[in-house]
This record gives sequence, structure tokens and C-alpha cells, in this order.
Amino acid sequence: MNCESYQSLLSDFIEGSLPPHDCERLEAHLASCGDCGEARNDLSAIIDFCREHHGEYEAVPNEQAMWRRITNIIESEPRAPLPANVPSAAGWWFRLMNRSWQLSFPQLAGSLAAIILVVSLITVGGMRRLGFGGAVVQGPFPAIGSSASMRDRIRQQQQVIDYWNQRVELNKARWNPQMRETFDRNMTVIDAAVNDSLQHLNENPHDGVSEDILYAAMNDKVELLKEFSNL
Amino acid sequence: MIKRPPTNRLKDVAFGSFLILMIAVAASAQQKVSRKFPAGKNVRLELKNLAGTIEVETWPRDEIRITAFMESPAIQFNPRTTESGLVIDVVGDNRGRENVGDVNFKIQVPARSSVDLETRSGQISVSNIQGELVRAHVWTSGNITLSGVNATRVFASNTTGDIFFDGEFSRGGTYEFKSGQGTITLRLPTNCGFHLVATAPVKKISLGQFWHKDMKEISQGRRIIGDVGDGNASVTVTNYQGDIKFLRR
Repeated sequence: MNCESYQSLLSDFIEGSLPPHDCERLEAHLASCGDCGEARNDLSAIIDFCREHHGEYEAVPNEQAMWRRITNIIESEPRAPLPANVPSAAGWWFRLMNRSWQLSFPQLAGSLAAIILVVSLITVGGMRRLGFGGAVVQGPFPAIGSSASMRDRIRQQQQVIDYWNQRVELNKARWNPQMRETFDRNMTVIDAAVNDSLQHLNENPHDGVSEDILYAAMNDKVELLKEFSNL
Repeated sequence: MIKRPPTNRLKDVAFGSFLILMIAVAASAQQKVSRKFPAGKNVRLELKNLAGTIEVETWPRDEIRITAFMESPAIQFNPRTTESGLVIDVVGDNRGRENVGDVNFKIQVPARSSVDLETRSGQISVSNIQGELVRAHVWTSGNITLSGVNATRVFASNTTGDIFFDGEFSRGGTYEFKSGQGTITLRLPTNCGFHLVATAPVKKISLGQFWHKDMKEISQGRRIIGDVGDGNASVTVTNYQGDIKFLRR
């Protein structure tokens, strides 16, 4: 069997549904093959993550009944008659433009409030996605003059850091106090490098040295988290 | 002379026995294992340790001797011989076990060996290696000392701790030193030639006698780029929070 064949068995192996004979062969191969070992670790990480977040995506109880009720309500509502002067074959734009928009004052106020709320939510969401208020990147975000690609790169890296950080936090309780202390102390050093670079970039968005250090420190952080996530 | 009551003497004897017992337990707690492996002159040693010191030195024999001092008898490692040399993966061999403790390695290898060493925490020291590769990586805290090293490729990195290199750069070789916090010191011979990229964004880069006016300072001296001598080796030194020092031998 080659690596591809072994990797096709990994899913069953992790789920515990692989026959014992195949298990033994696969374990022997994993002990000697670094690539397959990494593939096993990655797959385990994904499966663990899905298990940990299982409740967040759980379907509502009796989903079919709920959809039936919704369908009944929609079908039981009387259809609004089309205005006489709108031809039945008219497109949606024509219908929209020919509709009479007569709103009372409370309706108008409510609509305005809804628009303000939606715009605020989009703004806050956008800022969060760009890294403001992130759990790890605490420094000022490079704003003026910095390129969108840089912001994207930082945001993507931050997402990776968040993922691995979550995995490390789950395992941390099993570590001995000395290991926890060493890990935290070293993480602080890398965070300091990240935050210093961000601060420099905020003052001078075109500072190549700070940009290099920022990327390098974030990469180091990912690698360190990965290494300790299996501990 | 004060005569002590018998109960006190009994207490002394009990305390003494307890001390002896504790010393015996402590002595037996560190188990020593030693093994030899036949090796060619250009053998490669790979070691991935969980925690503990790694000390590698050369000897005039075509074999590798591994001596491990283990804090806990529960820890396991199974050295594997490969086509190119020897692999010891303490991390992989103890995956899933909790608090297995430190393993301190003392290793002798032929001088032309390549060594690839890694530990999550603990010091690494390598001396007199003249093979193709020397790699020393400490994931968290631990000093790295590379002395008498004359390899074509050298990589030394840690997060916290000092890095000290005392050796030579080969023509066309690649040398990378990186620390998060700690001092990186390179002690080099007068006639060495290399192209340097040194970056220390927070503290100082001190090139000593290797400094000359054609060196380029970038971002208020937080990075220095330039050639020393013929500039044939490539040297990259990065220190996030600490100093970089060059010393002439």
C-alpha cells in the first residue's frame, strides 16, 4: 500500500471503525512516515474542532414540522392584488418603481431606525473582521496608508492563530505548571514583538522592517501554537 | 556534657534514615541509558526532545554514542537507524503521555556529522561539528551554544535565551540565527567573509570591528545590511527584543 491508500483509511482510523488488522498496518506506517503522520494530525484536528463546536450547528428539534408550519402560514396569507395599471408580465424593477410608497410617520421612523441599525452593524462587523478588538493583536492596527493586502494577510494570520490558540487552551489544563508558565512567558515575548511592530507600522505604515518582523513573529506564534497543541 | 533524652535520639535516627532514603530516591529517579550505534563519517543525527538539555560533541570514532539521563522511568524513546543516520523522536514516542519529565542527552558523534536538534525547552550545546548541517531549535526557553562549528549550513533559533556562535563561515554557506528575547553573539575569525542582514527592532546591533562605512542602516539602524570581506556566505540574524553582537576572534 502506498501513502495515498493509507491516508484514505485515516478517517475510519480516527473514528475507531477500522478493522484491527488494518489498524495495525496503518499504525506501523504512521510510525515511520512523517507525511502521513502529519495528515493524521491535521485530520484529527479538524474532527476535534467539529466535535467541540457540534452544539453550535445543531438543527432545531423537529425541523420538518417547523418548515411545514412556516409553509402553511405563507400559503394561508391572502395574496396582495397587483395594481391595475401594472401588467402581469412586468419585471420586478417595473413593479418596484410603480408601487405607491405611502408611509405613516411611525413607519418612516421605524424604517430609518432599521437602516441606521443595519449600517452600524455592518461597520462594527467590518472593523472586527479587520482585526480591531482581536484577542491577540492588541496594538493599534496599521491604518493610514497600509495596503489592503497587508490587512488581509494579518487578518488571515490572526484567524489561524485564533484556531490554534483555541486548541492549545483545551489541552493546557493537562500540562504541568512549569510547562504552562514557560509557554505563557514565551508567548508574551512573541506578542510583544507583534504589538511593537504594529505600533511602529501605525506611526510609519511603510516601515519594511516592522512589516517583516510582524509577519515573522505571527508565523512563529502559529508554529509555537501548533507544536504545543499536541502536547 | 549534655545528655540527650532517648526520644530525641530516636528522632535523629528517624530523620537521618529519612534523609538517606530521600537521597537514594533522588539518585535513582534520574535513570541513565547509554547506547552506541555504528555510523559512517557523514552521518546525520536527528533528535526531537520534549524538555531537557542536549549536548553534542565529537569524538574520533565512526559511531554515535547516546547517553540519556531520564527524570522519569515512564518516558520512552526508541532510536531508529535510517539510511542517512539516526533518528530519536522523544516527542513522537511519548505522545499522549502526561508529565513525562525531562530527558538530558549527552551525545558523541563523528566530526563530519550533521546534527538536527530540537527541544521544547532546555539548553542545546554543540561543539566542533564540521559536517554539512547544524540546526538547533528551542521552541521556548533555553540557551544555544555552538562552539568550534564549521558547517555549511547553520540554523539556531529560540524564543527566550541567548544564542552564542563561535565558529567559521564556509564560502557559499547559509547561516541563520533568530531569537525572541536574549542576546545573539557571533564570534568570528578576522578573515571571514559574508553578506549580512541583521535585524534588531528594539535593541542594539553592534558589529564591532566588522562595521565599515559601506554598511547600510535601514529604519534608524534597526536593520543593517552589508558585505564583510568577500561576502560569500549568507548570514541572517534576527532578534525581536534583544541585542545582536559581533566579536572578532
